[in-house]
Formats: sequence, structure tokens, C-alpha cells
Amino acid sequence: SQPLAGCQAAELQSKVVPSKQILHSDNMEMEPETMETKSVTDYFSKLHMGSLVYSCTSKRKNK
Amino acid sequence: RMEASCLELALEGERLCKAGDCRAGVSFFEAAVQVGTEDLRTLSAIYSQLGNAYFYLHEYAKALEYHHHDLTLARTIGDLLGEAKASGNLGNTLKVLGNFEEAIVCCQRHLDISRELNDKVGEARALYNLGNVYHSKGKNVASAGTHDPGELPDDVKSALQKAANYYEENLTIVTELGDRAAQGRAFGNLGNTHYLLGNFRSAVLAHEQRLLIAKEFGDRSAERRAYSNLGNAYIFLGEFETAAEYYKRTLQLARQLKDRAVEAQACYSLGNTYTLLQDYERAIDYHLKHLVIAQELHDKIGEGRACWSLGNAYTALGNHDQAIHFAERHLEISREVGDRSGELTARLNLSDLQMVLGLSYSTNNSMMSESHVVENSFNGGRPRGRRHSMENMELMKLTPEKVQNWN
Repeated sequence: SQPLAGCQAAELQSKVVPSKQILHSDNMEMEPETMETKSVTDYFSKLHMGSLVYSCTSKRKNK
Repeated sequence: RMEASCLELALEGERLCKAGDCRAGVSFFEAAVQVGTEDLRTLSAIYSQLGNAYFYLHEYAKALEYHHHDLTLARTIGDLLGEAKASGNLGNTLKVLGNFEEAIVCCQRHLDISRELNDKVGEARALYNLGNVYHSKGKNVASAGTHDPGELPDDVKSALQKAANYYEENLTIVTELGDRAAQGRAFGNLGNTHYLLGNFRSAVLAHEQRLLIAKEFGDRSAERRAYSNLGNAYIFLGEFETAAEYYKRTLQLARQLKDRAVEAQACYSLGNTYTLLQDYERAIDYHLKHLVIAQELHDKIGEGRACWSLGNAYTALGNHDQAIHFAERHLEISREVGDRSGELTARLNLSDLQMVLGLSYSTNNSMMSESHVVENSFNGGRPRGRRHSMENMELMKLTPEKVQNWN
């Protein structure tokens, strides 16, 4: 059974071919989720927004 | 006095979460809830942040609870923007929990309100979330079956196609807004969606854009992700050398970032790529590196995979002693982790190897007959070659008929 065993060995070697599939598809790397954020200061900043408006003059001229 | 104290606790919670210590932040937020406040807007903000903190801590049931409280409060006080945000957060949480239909309803609500308020930023974010939900939905259904990317049932295809459309819509808006970071995220997930749909060229184009933006920001984690995804796409384009180059960059960055788990994954991908290139010495080198890290991280599943891969590579080289050594370890580990199909694969590998080595079968008769029984139920009588499926990997081996000829 030697020649047959050799034939089997050749067959064994030639057939070791992994499918491309799961090897490279189960480690897909996704981007992170984005969550919406709230802050306890949001509300306060909105309340005071109106009073924070001020204008500035564009240039001060130095002589 | 009580008001101030609730607010102070909440502000400290915010500070801690911003600093990245969500666990401590949660304690302060929960203390703030205990103290309580009459101001429902403040309470809504606390619930929202508790929900997000639990989301980042991967405690999704708690995240769901708090985002739900936030949504209820926002509706109660007629805060439309607050309702949109809570709906989006609830949608993301439901997605992670696998409740896709409800997630879609919530994310759609986020989108509708944003459009109603003419809030372009919110609209774009809602579109990205919707893309993510449909992507997850498609992937989830797809993973129930076993097929290569691109060979998909219709419902999977339609979910993924919807995801791609939402990402495209998102990209249109964030490009107008000049939000490069958001573009990067959308390109990355769009690339992965094209990959699952089997549009590998489109996947490459999207991941190349993602890579460009990652480099712009000096975001090395995102850069590494892009390399890895590019490698995956090139595998399916049949360009294994190019894939190997990208996986090597993934490996380089994983080492720089000192992320051992990711380093192991890169070694595993490289091992498989060199197997496809039939360069078994290199494959063995990388699979051994993967094995070392898997053991270090006590990752039994990974260790089993490594042994299985090593067994194959040594078999291909005709090194039967090493092949048997790793097949035996694979069998041992499969038993240990209760992986029935892995165990079956290992037994068949071992019996095939023993046959090749001309070993006596007198001791193995019971094993052989057992594997026959399982094999027949395993294949369900499909008219294909014998499949030794482990994690959907295929290994074409000797047919049962040949095995019988041997006995």
C-alpha cells in the first residue's frame, strides 16, 4: 500500500485550500457609532444667549 | 441648595465622562438623579448622558432604559430637538441589541425631526445611524447562512443596498458641510457595505478615501482599520500580494498601537493570505505568531484556529509529524471549548493523516464509524464534496468512499 499512501499524501497536500470566505470576512472593521449628546449647561447657555451679544469695533488706531 | 447639588453632581459627571472615565461619571450622574431636580431639562440631559455612558461601557440594557427615560421626558416638555437626539440614541442602542425594526423607527424619527427643524447636522447624523442599522440588519441575517460576500439572499441584499444609499446621502450632506471626520466614518462603513454586497472595487475606492482622511487627522486607529479592510477586499479581488501588503501595514500599526488582539488578527490574516499564495513557510511563521498571542490572551477559540491552520500548512508541506501534533491540539481545544464541528474536523484530519502515514486502523474503527454518521447528517446529503467546515472554512479532503476503500 505504499504507492497508494503516496498518492493519498499528494491528494492531502493539494486539497488544503481554505475558502477565502470567513477567513477575511469575519473581521470587518466598522467605524464607531455616533451618539447625540446633551449637557446640563445647554439649557443655561440658551437662556443667557441673548445677553451675550456684543459688538466689537474692527480696529483700534494707534498713533 | 438641593438644586445646586444635583447640578454640581451632574457637572462632575460630565467632566469625568469627557475625560474618558465613564464608570466614575455614571456614579456622579446616578447620585444626581438620587438628589433629584425640578428642572426636567436638566434631568433629561442627565438621563441622556447616563444612557451614553452605559452605551460606551457596553451595558446596553441600562443604556436602553435611560435613553427611553430621556425620550419620554423630551416629549413631555415638548422639546423637539431633545426628542430627536433621544430617538437617535435609542435607535443606536436597539441596533446593538439586535432589535432592528424598532431601531429603524427610532432613527427615522431622528431623521424626520431633523428635517422638520432644518437641522442639516442632525439630518446627516441620522442618515449615518440609519445606514448603520441597515448594515447590521443585513450582516445579521447574512451570518445565519454561509456564503461568500456577494452571494446573498434577497432580503440581505436589499438591507445592505439601503445601508449604502443612506451612507451616500450622508456623504452628500457632510461633504457640503465640510465635515471631514464624518466623511471618514461614512466612507469606512460604505466600504464595508460594498464589500458584503460583493462590490469589491467600490469597497476599495471607499476604503482608500477613508485611509486618506485618517492620515489627514493622524488617526492611526482609523488608518489601521482602513488597511485591514483594504486587505480583505483585495483577497476577494484575487490580488493576494496586494492584500498581504495591506495586512503587513495593519500589523505594523497594531504593534505601534500596542494592541495585541489586533496584532493577532493581523498575523492570522497574513497566515491565511500566504496560504492562498501557497507560501506555506511564511503562513506557518505568521500562524505561529498568532498562536503565541492567542495563548497569551487566553483566547481558546483563536488558539484552536491557529492549531487548525498550522495543521493544514504542515500537511501542505508534507510535514506530517507537525501536522498530527497540531491536529491533536486542535482536537483537544475543540473538546475543551465544546466546538462540535471543530472536533469533527480535527478527527477527520487526524484520520486522514493517519491513513497517509499508513497507520493501523484497528484502534480507530470506532472513531471512523462515528465520524461517518456525523458526516452524513452534517452534509444533509448535498451533492458536493465532503466539507470540513470550521467557522465556514472549507477543507476539501478525502471522500468517504476512499476512506472505505482503505478499510
